[in-house]
Amino acid sequence: MPGFKIVTNPADLVYLYDGSLAGFFCCVHRSFYERELPIDILPEAADQPSIYPRAYISTDQAKAEAVRASIVKNLSDRVIELTEHVFLCHHPHKEQKLLRFLIFAFGIGPKAAYMLGEDAVADVLEMEKHLLGEVHLLRGFIRFADYGEMLGGVITPKNFVLPLLAAHFANRFPNENFMIYDKTHKAVLAFQGGKLEITMVEEVEFSQPSEDELRFQSMWKNFYKTIGIEERVNPRCRMGHMPKRYWQNMTEMREYL
Amino acid sequence: MDIMQKLTILADSAKYDAACTSSGVTRGGPPGGKGMGSAVPDGICHSFSADGRCITLLKVLMSNACAYDCKYCVNRSSNDVPRATFTPDELAELTIQFYRRNYIEGLFLSSGVVRNPDYTSEQMIRVLALLRYEHHFWGYIHAKVIPGTASGLVRRLGQLADRISVNVELPSEASLSTLAPQKKRKAIFTPMAEIKQGIAVSQTDIVRYKHAENFAPGGQATQMIIGATPESDYNILRLASGLYTKYDLRRVFYSAYIPTVTDTMLPAVDTKPPLLREHRLYQADWLMRQYQFDAEEILSEAQPNFNPYLDPKCNWAVNNLHFFPVDVNTASFQALLRVPGIGPKSAKAIVIARRHSHIGMSQLKRIGVVLKRAKYFILTDDLPCGIRLNKQTMAKALIDPGSFSLGVEQLSLFDRPELKFLTDTKAPAIQEVREEAATCLASKL
Repeated sequence: MPGFKIVTNPADLVYLYDGSLAGFFCCVHRSFYERELPIDILPEAADQPSIYPRAYISTDQAKAEAVRASIVKNLSDRVIELTEHVFLCHHPHKEQKLLRFLIFAFGIGPKAAYMLGEDAVADVLEMEKHLLGEVHLLRGFIRFADYGEMLGGVITPKNFVLPLLAAHFANRFPNENFMIYDKTHKAVLAFQGGKLEITMVEEVEFSQPSEDELRFQSMWKNFYKTIGIEERVNPRCRMGHMPKRYWQNMTEMREYL
Repeated sequence: MDIMQKLTILADSAKYDAACTSSGVTRGGPPGGKGMGSAVPDGICHSFSADGRCITLLKVLMSNACAYDCKYCVNRSSNDVPRATFTPDELAELTIQFYRRNYIEGLFLSSGVVRNPDYTSEQMIRVLALLRYEHHFWGYIHAKVIPGTASGLVRRLGQLADRISVNVELPSEASLSTLAPQKKRKAIFTPMAEIKQGIAVSQTDIVRYKHAENFAPGGQATQMIIGATPESDYNILRLASGLYTKYDLRRVFYSAYIPTVTDTMLPAVDTKPPLLREHRLYQADWLMRQYQFDAEEILSEAQPNFNPYLDPKCNWAVNNLHFFPVDVNTASFQALLRVPGIGPKSAKAIVIARRHSHIGMSQLKRIGVVLKRAKYFILTDDLPCGIRLNKQTMAKALIDPGSFSLGVEQLSLFDRPELKFLTDTKAPAIQEVREEAATCLASKL
């Protein structure tokens, strides 16, 4: 039933939830049913003292399912995809922006996701663009080292990109074991015996690379240095394509930091 | 010689090759489940070298022990440089090990002519066959065809590689015969035609037959050296346009000539590489491939060289002011593409957004359209008459900031009478040149 208007009144209230997507859907549920627009929605862990009262929204799978089903039925698969993507972003107010987008979308119907000139839509699309951009860069910039029983690599992304990197590397290396450690979000993507898994961890210790591994690393570094043309050196152009924040995890770039 | 030394020598000899792309092929994973490798349609850059160019493939020569003596080339047989040759096993192993570590997207294999073109190609084919059938490697492979290779071998290369390319090397036959006397025009265009034929056949067969073979699914490309010979930009663009239509090329690459050897027929060794000119050629090339421009619209007999201050699209707009303003709410996709500052992405976004609501300036901004230059050429809901500003302001906005980022001496390389003042006064400040250019442009508007 596209076109139904959701009347939401600004409420001096901050929603707290458990940080999961299901938890966020429950916040959407509450907002729609109570007809209130919270000042902010925060994961419990990110809560900081402020003057506004808190409402803790407990996660109820049935409610979360209902919201998801309603999005699929009344809006579109693209809206679900967009919501899932934006939820992986690092933006501090992503939940609030997503809620605003969903309120707008339910008021308009399936075409809402294509109204690119609307504030509510442009905001979430911009976040998604940032996320997908980072995913694309990291597909190239991740460096693995061979630790014998598996390949291992470290990343320090702004967004939670692991779920979107998983399929790419699993398809590419179906017969290898590998793990990617996301230092920012303290999570590990492990691919072992054909199974993908993302787990939260405190710290990952990599063993010392073998001599063979170091040999390939130095060959790669050497190749990198050789392939640049001296007469054309252009540090700004390089930095534009490959921002400095990625360099710390790249074998050939670490020495330029 | 150990493999580290070989890699250094053979990467050093390959670095002037312009093409380093891994696009045009989609492969979800290794067919048959053995081995490794996939390819994504847009390609993936794995690093960027100090010159700002993308590193996506392991770009090396099979060998730099070249029998030919092309005057412009570092690897010419009469040049005194260290020589090396990979064995097929070494190179295959190196590719696999680099690929596993996610250093590269695949292999870019070219070679100097060892003994003769056929022998060289056989060596290259051995590397590719090892990779594909022994290591079950299904990452991206770009192979160069050595001019003069037998057609059976070209065919084999095409079956193993994702993209193959024959270099046209220089923009005219006259230049080719003076600078690369051993490479004949026919030896370049015959394989090019065969490859075109092979790709066309494979594309129809794949639709019809289950086990049809794949032939260079990433298409064919070529490259040429710019600035070593006297051709005008118009000549070069005409040649490229001809290559696109006649041989169905995916890409033509332009490589600014960097003097490496002294020869009376070549620019002096201290000549700066014409980077801005190369940049303009790429911009024009883009216009022909993605924006449906004809070579004749970009340059002409009367104006055979690029305007150093304006990018080719802006230059076209300034010379065709009658085409503007374009109404973003009603104009066709093609018309939107003609607006300076609006590319395929923005044009697509505008077409999607305007289906649902009328578009004004603020909407355009939110869609992500860059308005700095576009705003002078469009009409929107809230600006039904377009923007009218004084000509000097507009001229300033239109001038390409990229013209100056490469240094003032790049402008003087264009060698046009109206730029004479650049060479007369020694190294004028960039700001002055900019003002001068803006005034000059404003008078034309």
